Amino acid sequence: MKIPESILRKVEKPGRYTGGEWGRECKPKDSVSTRVVFCFPDIYEIGMSNLGVRILRDVLNKLDFCSCEACFSPWPDMEEQLRTHNIPLCSIESSDPLNEFDMVAFSIQYELCYTTMVNMLELGNIPICAQDRTENDPIVIAGGPCAFNPEPVAEFVDAFLIGEGEYEIAEVAECFDDCKKRGCTREQTLRELSHIKGLYIPSLYDVEYNEDGTIKSFGPKYDDVPKTVVKRIVEDMDEGPYPETQIVPFIDTVQGRITLETGRGCIRACRFCQAAQLFRPVREKSPDTIVKQAKALADYTGYDEITLSSLSISDYSKIRELTDKMLEWTDPRKISINLPSLRADSFTRELMDKVYSVRSSTLTFAPEAGTQRLRDVINKNIEEKDIFQACRIAYEGGKRQVKLYFMEGLPTETYEDLDGMADLAQRIIDEFYKTENRPKGTPQVTMSVACFVPKPFTAFQWEAQDSLETLKKKQLYVRDKITSKKIIYHYHSAEVSRIEAIFARGDRKLSKAILKAHEKGIRLDGWTEYFDYDLWCEVFKETGIDPDFYACRVRDENEILPWDFIDIGSSKRYFLREKKLAYMNKTTQSCAEGCAGCEANSLGGKNTWCPNLNQKK
Amino acid sequence: MVSEFEPKKIRVRYSKSGSLMFISHLDLNRTMTASFLRSRLPIYYSQGFNPHPKIVFSQPLPVGVSSECEYMDFSVTEDIPFEKITETMNSVMPQGIRFLDCYEPIGKFKDIMWAEYEYVFDIEPSEELIEKIRSSLSGSVVVDKKTKSGVKTIDISPLMDVLSVSENDGKTSVRLLLCCDELNFVGPNIPIKYLMDTVTELVDIEYTIRRKRVLLSDKKTDFR
Repeated sequence: MKIPESILRKVEKPGRYTGGEWGRECKPKDSVSTRVVFCFPDIYEIGMSNLGVRILRDVLNKLDFCSCEACFSPWPDMEEQLRTHNIPLCSIESSDPLNEFDMVAFSIQYELCYTTMVNMLELGNIPICAQDRTENDPIVIAGGPCAFNPEPVAEFVDAFLIGEGEYEIAEVAECFDDCKKRGCTREQTLRELSHIKGLYIPSLYDVEYNEDGTIKSFGPKYDDVPKTVVKRIVEDMDEGPYPETQIVPFIDTVQGRITLETGRGCIRACRFCQAAQLFRPVREKSPDTIVKQAKALADYTGYDEITLSSLSISDYSKIRELTDKMLEWTDPRKISINLPSLRADSFTRELMDKVYSVRSSTLTFAPEAGTQRLRDVINKNIEEKDIFQACRIAYEGGKRQVKLYFMEGLPTETYEDLDGMADLAQRIIDEFYKTENRPKGTPQVTMSVACFVPKPFTAFQWEAQDSLETLKKKQLYVRDKITSKKIIYHYHSAEVSRIEAIFARGDRKLSKAILKAHEKGIRLDGWTEYFDYDLWCEVFKETGIDPDFYACRVRDENEILPWDFIDIGSSKRYFLREKKLAYMNKTTQSCAEGCAGCEANSLGGKNTWCPNLNQKK
Repeated sequence: MVSEFEPKKIRVRYSKSGSLMFISHLDLNRTMTASFLRSRLPIYYSQGFNPHPKIVFSQPLPVGVSSECEYMDFSVTEDIPFEKITETMNSVMPQGIRFLDCYEPIGKFKDIMWAEYEYVFDIEPSEELIEKIRSSLSGSVVVDKKTKSGVKTIDISPLMDVLSVSENDGKTSVRLLLCCDELNFVGPNIPIKYLMDTVTELVDIEYTIRRKRVLLSDKKTDFR
């Protein structure tokens, strides 16, 4: 049902709920046989900016039998109105309640949105637990980075799509539509879905635990259900589906601009980084494809800013050709280009003069660790001289501000490494005064320090996170090391990082905690104003869950990990090798320099950096 | 590229309804900028580090109010027929916003002194209700008005004319003329609050507000 205007007048930013934006279209209900609603377990401003959701919605809407609408989590003021007036959570386009759709798809981007997902199911009148759903309820599917360890939310989702969803989601929709037309039961439909490559149906697998809480066995209940779920990829990024339209929100969103991928994966493989592995093998779009897509989107949206997105844009093999071909038409049209994720070792004066984001007053880098030793442990492959050179170029180009990203609590970290962080910041300040052609004024270095969260499918997946006390102690230690007023020091909440760590490597037993958290009204954990650590402590206490078992325990190398049944390409033996190298302070070469043997080439891929797949020209 | 053409000023009257009713003035600005860029019309850009289409809006409309008489000025750098601008823009703007009329500006935005609003309450107007509303709005109308220096209690009756209280399609319609001179501005939500406070039948009734016309100081001449 449509939200009455009287309610829209009462809530903050009603534009989150009204739809009607340029580019929002919806097929008539009776023109399709399968209706999907794509849910994003965070608010409109975050969800509308998600590239994956945009691609997948477009794929579904291009299927003639299928329509795909959208829904976001309400902000608590709207949630209160919905609950008070007994209004179910509805899609934006048709204003139909979630439970009237055939399929409800969730994009799970980060662990802190699990509780929001559960809350949205409830608000949409869908039974929260998969086992309680009836033939009249939608099939709940989910994908995104968190689906790579689906176990903590396995009880709430009927089917997970593992990997890149472009082809996978179309196959799911086709299979579902076919099952629906044949009158299959829910159970039959899920069984058939399990035969699609990349699909994981939790209800078709059994888990047994050892007395110590670790996994004893994990496997499918039936022979026709795959033992290993293999990640899907788009082999050829030039051929993959990509929307040439985009909804243009009225209200300001996180990415109110065109975001365009230049490729997927990262040749670097920092040992803490999950994203690099999830999107391997590294594949690129050609400059011509990117330019064509960018032009189409600029024409359609009227945005005057384009972000070229990639895990490490400076590693794009034809960066100069790409920027030249872009500037040829963006300059006359006064469209600016952003290049985030620049590496310090690739920062040049030429690039700085060309690109808008680089022209802004701040230069941003991620040294991650304070000493070369620790940077080698995490395989950051960046040297101090690169950082200083980049700073000099920036200073000479008129910048005075540098932003540095660090991580604390990394494996093998000592207080010397923490000293190194503060010291590096200070020396970057000093460098300003050593630079002859520096601008007038005083320099400023902003340090932003995150807490290390061990993630599945990384070399550090067996590591313990520092205890909450240690994390906090280290944060204050670094603070006290900083003496200059020209250094601004920010650090992430250790409590939030701990909750993230618990769920990142969680198993099915954690669904109990999520349910309990939901009962206590927890949701929107990603928002500081709603994150409540004390309430989470109560949750774990009342459900008998030991958070340290998940966050602070070193895993044995032979332990069955909850995500072991997923094959992401990069192999366990590669991660183990990387872990050993880390403890020897040894770095590993990038894909551009030679093969480190991650084995992601088993998945195939075209126009890739992988030395084992087709060689780049 | 040197253009001989002196940028030409254009004024547009446009409507704002549907979803557009619920977006702020800042969001409207963003929406307009993007629409101009989509249109590829030769719009005059502000000069400087971060060039943008140069747009000037008349008085902002409060969130939750629809309108058929919003005004906006911009310039074009080529001679282009007014109808062509209207047609092109209407093909690239979201549903809730329509260009109604493009022309060469006559007055200045600060000449706008009065605005006519229609309030429609989702309730059948009995004679008793109509009478109640009329009497509530006659005589002095004392309201709290937020100003920069705090909340002030003022009588808005000199700044307001009641044009009609009547039935409109089974609903209750109230048409008011409110002053929108910068110093004596009466926002369209002020009478709503007053009516809800004084006429019990209207409490919690769904309503809409629509700006119908904007007028010069004589209360008769439409702004152009």
